[in-house]
Amino acid sequence: MSQITLREVSRWYGNVVAVNDVSFEVGAGITGLLGPNGAGKTTLLHMMAGFLAPSAGDVRIDDSPTWRHPEVYRRIGFVPEREAVHPFLTGRQFVHSSARLQGVKDPVAATERAIEMVDLREASGRAIGGYSKGMRQRVKVAASLVHDPEVLILDEPFNGMDPRQRLHMMDLLRSMAAEGRTILFSSHILEEVERLSDRVLVVVAGRLAASGDFRRIRRLMTDRPHTFSVRSSDDRLLARELLASPEVQAVELHDGALTVRTGDYGQLTRAVGPAAQRAGVSLLELRPADESLESVFSYLVHR
Amino acid sequence: MTAALLSLTLRGLLNRRRTLLLGLIGALILLVAVIYRLSGPAEAEASTFTGRLLADFGLGVLLPLVAVIVGTAAIGSELDDGTILYLLAKPIPRMLIVAIKLLVAAGVVTVLVALPILLAGIIGTGGSASLGLAYAVAAAFGALEYTAVFLALSLVTSRALVIGLAYVVVWEGVVAGLFAGTRIFSVRQHALAVGDALAGDGAVTAELAAGSALLIGFAVTLLAFGLAVRRLERVELRGDSN
Repeated sequence: MSQITLREVSRWYGNVVAVNDVSFEVGAGITGLLGPNGAGKTTLLHMMAGFLAPSAGDVRIDDSPTWRHPEVYRRIGFVPEREAVHPFLTGRQFVHSSARLQGVKDPVAATERAIEMVDLREASGRAIGGYSKGMRQRVKVAASLVHDPEVLILDEPFNGMDPRQRLHMMDLLRSMAAEGRTILFSSHILEEVERLSDRVLVVVAGRLAASGDFRRIRRLMTDRPHTFSVRSSDDRLLARELLASPEVQAVELHDGALTVRTGDYGQLTRAVGPAAQRAGVSLLELRPADESLESVFSYLVHR
Repeated sequence: MTAALLSLTLRGLLNRRRTLLLGLIGALILLVAVIYRLSGPAEAEASTFTGRLLADFGLGVLLPLVAVIVGTAAIGSELDDGTILYLLAKPIPRMLIVAIKLLVAAGVVTVLVALPILLAGIIGTGGSASLGLAYAVAAAFGALEYTAVFLALSLVTSRALVIGLAYVVVWEGVVAGLFAGTRIFSVRQHALAVGDALAGDGAVTAELAAGSALLIGFAVTLLAFGLAVRRLERVELRGDSN
């Protein structure tokens, strides 16, 4: 069983801070690294995989620092988000050359096993240049698995996969985790992380916003105050009626636009219709004003 | 491991378009030699003309042109398209990666340049192999030095091809022509000195002594190799967006 450890890790590019004082440990099982695009997920993963030097702090796999220690790749499999794969090789040749470069004892058998694992047998004889995005993703996973690594790091592994391939990949990662491997994958999609991992690390703007059990973090995300924008035939009348509802925390009429704040998402959506009816106004629109993942994440950061 | 690295490098270097382009450049010298032969030259001049052709065109144009294209692509093309990641994510000492890439690239340049030079020498002189062989050996020596320099350059800057061409055209072509003292830093002059000494016909008079040229050439190759290893050990891959 291997462990990834980050201690007070920062990384900056000139004046831009990409990762800011992040510390965590990732052990056996599946951990999701969740965050909006541009949050610093790839920078973190690349530091863990030894492709980037931390500007400050320490990144290790067990006892070995990852930066400038090629030997650590005997234990790591890394699947980059970037699509570039040698286009002149067939899928099988790509996985086979990975096996040989890793110094695997029986590269042919290891290649077949890895191709089988990602369900790519039929297409494995074709040049990668002609692969779909999902197939490229799978051949990259096969190449990263071919030496049977203890640690698997995947950057947005489900990008470009169709639902069937996605389920297959999730099953594969689950079975590998069950064997005691340490698996860390990044995603900007909440549902992917929810379905696959018990443990989650949330990064926002280069900082670790939350970490731990997914259900607890999900609760934090859903229990936060929500803001809705409302349009009706008479916003002032509707605002007065809504203010009388217990689930409404605040209403604001500003520049002719009505916004409503609530602590309970579900209750509010059920209460607005009857309130409009009681006030005798026509409800034209009810729209959550802050439902982007970014706003959820920024709420977590500012909490 | 080494064999896999060798074949991957070779396949990456010799893609269809690049091989065709480099083959065509190499064919030019053969074409000139054939045309010269067909023009029915006086046998007394044939050796001098062919010597100049091999030195000025073979070592002066063909060799640096092919070397700059192959040398900067040996690792540079993988750095550009991001596929270097798959090589760096392997437990292979970086020195071994650079050594194999350098040997394969220098080998490719040698085949693409030294072989046409040898053949052009035989055709130009009307059947004698010694002149062609002398310049082919010089080309092989120059191929190693040029390739090492351009490979290291590709790990220092993403504009290695442009800078490499500027070095060949401006430094070696113009500056080294005007100021004799700068010729010590010209790979072309190193190769010429070796070719001149081996041919021993005086068709081309090199500015440097063959011994110094060999010494400086190998020193430059070693320095460039060391620099390339150091740079590859510190290559950082940032990813696309995050």
